[in-house]
Amino acid sequence: MKKIIFSRYTKYILLGVVLALMPTIQQMGFIRSATITTFGTIIFYAVVAIGLNVLLGYSGLISLGTAGFMGLGAYLSTFLTENLGLPFFVSILLAVIVPTLAGILVGLISLRTQGMVLAIATLAVAEVFRIKFTQWDAFTGGFSGARAEFPTFFGFEFDRDMTFVFLTVLLVLLMIITDNYIHSSVGRAFLTMRVSEAAAQAMGINLLKYKLMAFALATAYAALGGALYAHFIRFSFPDSWNLGLSLQIVAVIVIGGLKTIMGPIVGSIIVFGVPAIILSRLPVIGDVDGLAFIFNGVLIIIVVLFYPNGLVHIATDVKKLFRKKRTEV
Amino acid sequence: MSTFFQLIFSGLETGSIYALAALGIIIIFRTSRTTNFAQGAIGMFNCYVATVTLINLEVPVWVAVLVGMLTAFATGVFVDLVIIRRAQKVSSVAKQIITFGIIMIFTGLAPIIFGTMPLSFPRFILQGSLDLFGASISYNGLLNIAIGLLIMGVLFYFLQHTKWGLAVRVTASNDATARLMGVPTSMVTMGAWAIAAALGTLAAIMHAPNISVGVNMMENVQVNAFIAIVFGGFQSFHGPVIAAYIIGLSRNLLLFYGSSTWGEPILYGLILLFIVFRPNGLIGKKIVKKV
Repeated sequence: MKKIIFSRYTKYILLGVVLALMPTIQQMGFIRSATITTFGTIIFYAVVAIGLNVLLGYSGLISLGTAGFMGLGAYLSTFLTENLGLPFFVSILLAVIVPTLAGILVGLISLRTQGMVLAIATLAVAEVFRIKFTQWDAFTGGFSGARAEFPTFFGFEFDRDMTFVFLTVLLVLLMIITDNYIHSSVGRAFLTMRVSEAAAQAMGINLLKYKLMAFALATAYAALGGALYAHFIRFSFPDSWNLGLSLQIVAVIVIGGLKTIMGPIVGSIIVFGVPAIILSRLPVIGDVDGLAFIFNGVLIIIVVLFYPNGLVHIATDVKKLFRKKRTEV
Repeated sequence: MSTFFQLIFSGLETGSIYALAALGIIIIFRTSRTTNFAQGAIGMFNCYVATVTLINLEVPVWVAVLVGMLTAFATGVFVDLVIIRRAQKVSSVAKQIITFGIIMIFTGLAPIIFGTMPLSFPRFILQGSLDLFGASISYNGLLNIAIGLLIMGVLFYFLQHTKWGLAVRVTASNDATARLMGVPTSMVTMGAWAIAAALGTLAAIMHAPNISVGVNMMENVQVNAFIAIVFGGFQSFHGPVIAAYIIGLSRNLLLFYGSSTWGEPILYGLILLFIVFRPNGLIGKKIVKKV
């Protein structure tokens, strides 16, 4: 029993349960309906951020192409369900596999570079995607956008709350899977690579193989996040997949905490949740359009300046503080 | 043939804008070790200042430009003093996120102060054009190209032949050693942010007549400036500038002779291929990493 309660997956499942209960709490009238939509947004961006954390946090490679692959996943899933009438499950699978293959191809080319060069190289790829999204009307609907429906499972149509629960389940599953391979030999290879590429190579770690693996994983998560975006928000515009979005995802990781799995959730709540849920409802700040945006910018700068390890560690730090006080007494 | 020269002229004009933006980003990268994503946002904000000054005070265009560049200078100093100087201990990725926070502040501030309506900024020289090689180039285009070249000439002279230029180069090559040698690196960094902000604003003002002054006006310029930096190489100040002109020229040629929809993707693809074979860019020294 103790083993089950204190297993390392407990926190993920607990988080999942809390999130999954939100629609019920909303129906009882404790929170606003729009809050559920905001939390859905938080969840799919967290999925993307967990993927990027594997790349940036664990492997130390920077990519600014996240938005491009997200967009590809969103449009593919929309196109396959709406235009070709494929079942939701098949199309979401394809919407993850195809961008991942594209990501591996991009990785094969761009992973020969490092650091900022890699970041800008992936930015160039994302920019190519964005330009094509605005031009390829048949696939993306151009500037008028692409409309998708809530997911359908074997003839059973989900409503918004069901989709929200589905997102939560996926998130928890992904967190457990990620936790698993990060604590396996793959994760150790990533971490070694991050500290020193030369040392990793000397230990017999195939650099290109593991770099490609991290890149492919990040792409797959981004594409999945994009597909979930398409089916939860149900509308995608080509201009939303820009550099700003990629930067927002990086911000999520840095604020939440690099090299953590819970960090992206915390960061996602700060970056995407706080402006919508808290700031826009405060008296003065919420009244002026854009003021919430400014406050979020200030908040991001303050967190990075004064809490550079990420907000996810705040609980342990507070605990430490109390323990220290107790021993002093 | 006249079309070709027409394309070359407009390519040079676009190239000047990209080059000014790229120069601003590379100066900050070399002195502060961070990629300034807020370059475009700061340029946009101060371009708004120039436009509003022009509309409300009815001053000549050059006065408005001067006002915009002065406020940009002040913005750069402010950003460095209040934020960047306190961020010396954080990692370079975290610093980039700070510049992202700066973007959010400026893009949030702009509509509150200047309204959400897109404004228009006039050309420096409203009319008149010069016929060269069968192609016509507007006086304004010529002026833009000349201003771009002049400012870059002055900056490169400053970097290579003055004491302060030496200080900038020393800080760029090794921040810690420079400080030990008595170089006031924090002054250098502050100056870099101020000058970069002014350059970004100039790029925005030169770009403004082609589009309207809006929150997203610098997005395209900024992406191209970043790509120019990688293409030109991070290790020199002149590499990105040359690359920016190459991008400006070949973008126009490819869009016209290649394909109007695939021109940019082809250009970016070619640059990516180039980076694969020369990861240090056009003019780049290889950095030997010691284990």
